[in-house]
Amino acid sequence: MSAARQTAPLTGENAEPAPLLELAGVRAGYGPIEVLHGVDLKVGPGSVVALLGPNGGGKSTTMKVCAGLLPLTGGELRFAGRRMNGISGEDAAQLGVCSIPEGRGIFPNLTVRENLWVGTGTGAKLSAMEEAAYSRFPILGERRHQLAGSMSGGQQQMLALSRALGTDPAVLLLDELSMGLAPMIVTQMYDTVAQLVAEGLSVLVAEQFARAVLPIADTAALMLHGRVVSVGRPDEIEDQLSSSYLGG
Amino acid sequence: MSLLETRGITVRFGGNTAVDDVSIGVDEGRITGLIGPNGAGKTTLFNTVTGLQKPASGRVLLDGADITRLAPARRAHLGMARTFQRLELFLSLSVRDNVRVAGDILRANTRHRVDVDKETDRVLSRTGLGDIAHLEMSDVPTGRARVVEVARALMTSPRVLLLDEPASGQTEQETEDFAGLLAGLAAEGLAICLVEHDLPLVMKLCSTIHVLDYGAVIASGTPKEIQESPEVIAAYIGTEEVTA
Amino acid sequence: MTTFLTFTILGLVLGSVYAIAASGLVLTYNTSGIFNFAHGAQAMLGTFLYWQLTYGWGWPMWLSLVVVVGVVGPAMGAILHALIMKGLRDTADVTKIVVTVAILLGMLYLSQWIWHPEEARIMEMFFGSGAKIEFAGVVIRVHEIICLVVAAAIAVGLRLLFTRSRVGVVMRGAVDDPDLLRRCGHNPDRVAALSWAMGSTLAVLAGVLITPIGGGALEANALTLLVIDAFAAAMFGRLRSIPRTFVGAMVLGMTATYVMAYFPTDWTWSGNFRVSLPMIILFVVLIVLPQDRLRGAAIRTRERYRVPTVRKAAVWGAVLVAVVFLLTLLMEETSVTTFALGMTFAIIALSLTVLTGYAGELNLAPLSFGAVATIVAFHFGVSGTGLAARLTLWGILLAVLVTAVVGGLVALPALRLRGLYLALATMAFGVFLSTMVLRDTVEHTLFGRTFSIFPNGTLIVPPLKIGPLDLRDPETFLLTATALFSLIAVGLVALRGSGYGRRLAAMKDSPAAAAMLGQNLVKLKFGVFMISAAIAGLGGVLMASASGSVAGENFAVMASLGLVMLTVVGGIGYISGALFGGLMSGVGFTIMVGTFNDLAAATPAMETIYKSLGQLAMVATALIGMGVGKNPSGTVHDIIEGYRSLRKARPVLIGGAVAEAVLYVLTLTGVIGNWWFAILSACLGMMLPVFGKMIMPEAVLSEEELARRRSTPLELEGIDEPYTEELRRRLDRELGLPSGVDRAPRVPAPRAAEEGDVHVVA
Repeated sequence: MSAARQTAPLTGENAEPAPLLELAGVRAGYGPIEVLHGVDLKVGPGSVVALLGPNGGGKSTTMKVCAGLLPLTGGELRFAGRRMNGISGEDAAQLGVCSIPEGRGIFPNLTVRENLWVGTGTGAKLSAMEEAAYSRFPILGERRHQLAGSMSGGQQQMLALSRALGTDPAVLLLDELSMGLAPMIVTQMYDTVAQLVAEGLSVLVAEQFARAVLPIADTAALMLHGRVVSVGRPDEIEDQLSSSYLGG
Repeated sequence: MSLLETRGITVRFGGNTAVDDVSIGVDEGRITGLIGPNGAGKTTLFNTVTGLQKPASGRVLLDGADITRLAPARRAHLGMARTFQRLELFLSLSVRDNVRVAGDILRANTRHRVDVDKETDRVLSRTGLGDIAHLEMSDVPTGRARVVEVARALMTSPRVLLLDEPASGQTEQETEDFAGLLAGLAAEGLAICLVEHDLPLVMKLCSTIHVLDYGAVIASGTPKEIQESPEVIAAYIGTEEVTA
Repeated sequence: MTTFLTFTILGLVLGSVYAIAASGLVLTYNTSGIFNFAHGAQAMLGTFLYWQLTYGWGWPMWLSLVVVVGVVGPAMGAILHALIMKGLRDTADVTKIVVTVAILLGMLYLSQWIWHPEEARIMEMFFGSGAKIEFAGVVIRVHEIICLVVAAAIAVGLRLLFTRSRVGVVMRGAVDDPDLLRRCGHNPDRVAALSWAMGSTLAVLAGVLITPIGGGALEANALTLLVIDAFAAAMFGRLRSIPRTFVGAMVLGMTATYVMAYFPTDWTWSGNFRVSLPMIILFVVLIVLPQDRLRGAAIRTRERYRVPTVRKAAVWGAVLVAVVFLLTLLMEETSVTTFALGMTFAIIALSLTVLTGYAGELNLAPLSFGAVATIVAFHFGVSGTGLAARLTLWGILLAVLVTAVVGGLVALPALRLRGLYLALATMAFGVFLSTMVLRDTVEHTLFGRTFSIFPNGTLIVPPLKIGPLDLRDPETFLLTATALFSLIAVGLVALRGSGYGRRLAAMKDSPAAAAMLGQNLVKLKFGVFMISAAIAGLGGVLMASASGSVAGENFAVMASLGLVMLTVVGGIGYISGALFGGLMSGVGFTIMVGTFNDLAAATPAMETIYKSLGQLAMVATALIGMGVGKNPSGTVHDIIEGYRSLRKARPVLIGGAVAEAVLYVLTLTGVIGNWWFAILSACLGMMLPVFGKMIMPEAVLSEEELARRRSTPLELEGIDEPYTEELRRRLDRELGLPSGVDRAPRVPAPRAAEEGDVHVVA
């Protein structure tokens, strides 16, 4: 896996237009049910792409495909221009794709510190992980020996996000960061993401709670019925949102 | 008083409050909508109402009787039926038998005596499944499979029907037929509670809509009221200036 | 006081070995979701190997220990994981259970092949039983101290591993969420492999330590059943918590030694009681456990069965009786008796068809329910004495009724829980019955009546007589048993097609949905388990009666496991699967091993080879059982699918029937022997679908298959026909070559053709 990392570096420094993460005509689904009917999407180096749309549109499935957790049945998944169809989740992680799933991206029966420890699977040091997490979210430092599952939803999401802070990934995949969280915490989360972006991270974020993410997004893509129906500047897409959500 | 009522239902998972003091009612002859962003606690509320999940506090009332502590099967005998977000069909039975077995269960577990065969035919034709009744369940596309779950629920002659995202996976035509079916069932007096992400469908069908966010009801009203409510738009799309 | 201390320490020693075994079981169960029934069998294999190295070949003790515990233990676990366990993800609980049961049996057969079970093997305590220290009047042997120290070290070691090492923390993470583990860059398969290696090592260690404590005699069955003790201990922590498992193991160990110490010595059954203690504690824990939460079906199972109509089943039932009648004309009386025995096993196997195939629950000890019925029939159902003694119809009915009730009582505590617990409860019941009841050979006096449950260790069960029907004659017995099998089978098919059968299927497919429609699941499971127990009871009495006399071993839990495995291999949803499983486990093995032994006796030069072949056949069956994970619908399903495709190829079917009739006549007239008849018939039956495909492909093959065959494989393009430009473009496209680079025609991919992996067009 370390060899793979050398052969396919995902650093955002190449000025080449080749996107870090690219989906071309991707089809995928669960068993006989196809959910994605040909998804095209690009995440360029250092950019933030917001994947928006109502539930059931295929956002989470797209995120799973990108994270290597769901095999493609058609099309291509590319990292830095290389075809990566069939890559496993752990190999994707080793290549610098940090993905945080919807719901809770934590191990509830491990302590905060142990969660960070498992997060070092891509080569980071535990001390660096702890340093990054506790300085950004002091509450996690106070609760380092508490079981993660007994913390509040916001604290759990902070812990999940800490993995992105300490492992220095090339691409961050965020799925429904806001799910079940109070608006203030959501804002705090996206402030953290914005800071990471300023340091050069590329982000693909799937979000139903669109307005929280639009301010930090460079590009927005609207997803409906398993297809990306519209891609553009965030303000352009925002105008279409209300109608596609509420049918108003 | 509504046929089905929840009073102050609260459900907690570890440190999270999934459902927070929810009190809603579902009336006979109407379709009540339950909407909200992902993770708002809709399915958890359904599970609590149907007895698959125990609440931390609060009560569930059916026709005024407290059923909070009853097992799922007992609630079914009292006239409650539901469908599942992740389809729970009987894969080793044909479509017809999937529907028929609900009648078998009713006959065997209650004093209710029905002619199961006749009732099955009636429900199959009522739900428009006659053409695929002979198929094995694994050969039925998702959209129609959702209707099979509804047909199965109807076999128990329910008084209140809880539908968990019944239109997801349906084609536009299927959704339209489905809307017609639900409207017809409500007109016959059935109390329906609909959880659905296809909001145009919800707006079209429901007389009352409750909006759930962070486990709590943030708005209730007619479709028009909901569509114009700034809180709802905020809950769905987010607000620009956050008020803490 | 000294007695108390002595037995407390003995209890702790026993408990510490249980703890070692149980922690391994908990470890593998949690990281892979597979409850390893072969855990004890792994301990057994390791211990036998240790014995072989140390006592057989005289290796130094430390070297054997290093090899067995340090190398073979972990390797065995890792290999099991890589070859079998990894493939069991997303299979039904029943499949997972049957696969590990098959591994258990395979390991047992293997050990009996290598180490003849009738030879005595003794293992000494470490440093000998003389090495001991005395403390406050209590004598403790060095071996016992080693057990305590090792268990303590493992407890501390596991604690450190799980809290102070990353790999341990990752293992705990794997229990929570394997997908999230991938997102963090770990490979959950590797984590599971490691836990299997550790679990296996702990099993082997426990086996090596426990054997000298229990007297030192190496006994394959007893060691294999160590899994029950481990399971009982693990239940204290709900199969999850290792610290609580240690507590449970200590409770288990100490209760066992206190029973030995303080039960009145004139209670003849206290020895048996001690052995069955884990099973009793298990039931108590099962009763105390809270009810499982209802969940939706977590996985979509791959098993598929076709359900015949009652009319079709009745026709096939009649055909079976007719075929068996024709066969009796060929057979000698002894063969008829053997065949009849097999048919009674097939009846017992039908109890599994309804319980597992229709309702999705598992009974791992069907023969034990047969034993219950046999005991009742023996005591209350025989009239007359000596040669005139006969089983009465009322006796059999009473026996079946009692068995149904006992079955219900046994299953009740486990019915509120997941299927795994019912499987474990039935297996524990099987062992309990074997150790407690079937060994109860001495006389008791109760309410002024003197009796013993299993007098002299054998029960003489006379043949059945109902009115004019006397089953003394083997042929009558066989035909009656066959007719009975057919009747019950038709009854079961009718049941499956009824509302009751549909409700069973609903419960099996989605318990949550069935409950939401108003089905009381416990009631339904309770009923179907009683039906199943009743069928097993009926088969059991007939089996005992066919044998004439039965001993405890006839109902041993290992025999039950073999029956379960073979029935699942045959096809648990099919009546014919039960026929296959019953005949194979009832008499198939005996015939196979017997035949090879006869051959061995006839040709001394080939003796070892023939004997090995017999043993190999047993191990091979277990290997098929392990393959159930890949083909959960069973072999019968494949054969039926093969014949279904022959429906339109009438001439092939008629040809097959004629050939079979010719074979039969040749055998009847003595031209060919019975063995040739059996072998040729089997070949004909297996090959007919294949012949069909070759002779009449249009009638047999599906549309897609035909279309696929018509198109030439890529490698053969241009060989039989002119090589065109159009073809070249297609090749470029398929091979992903940039088109138009090289215009010179090339012969495509000759290498593949030479290697022969080309699909030749028939």
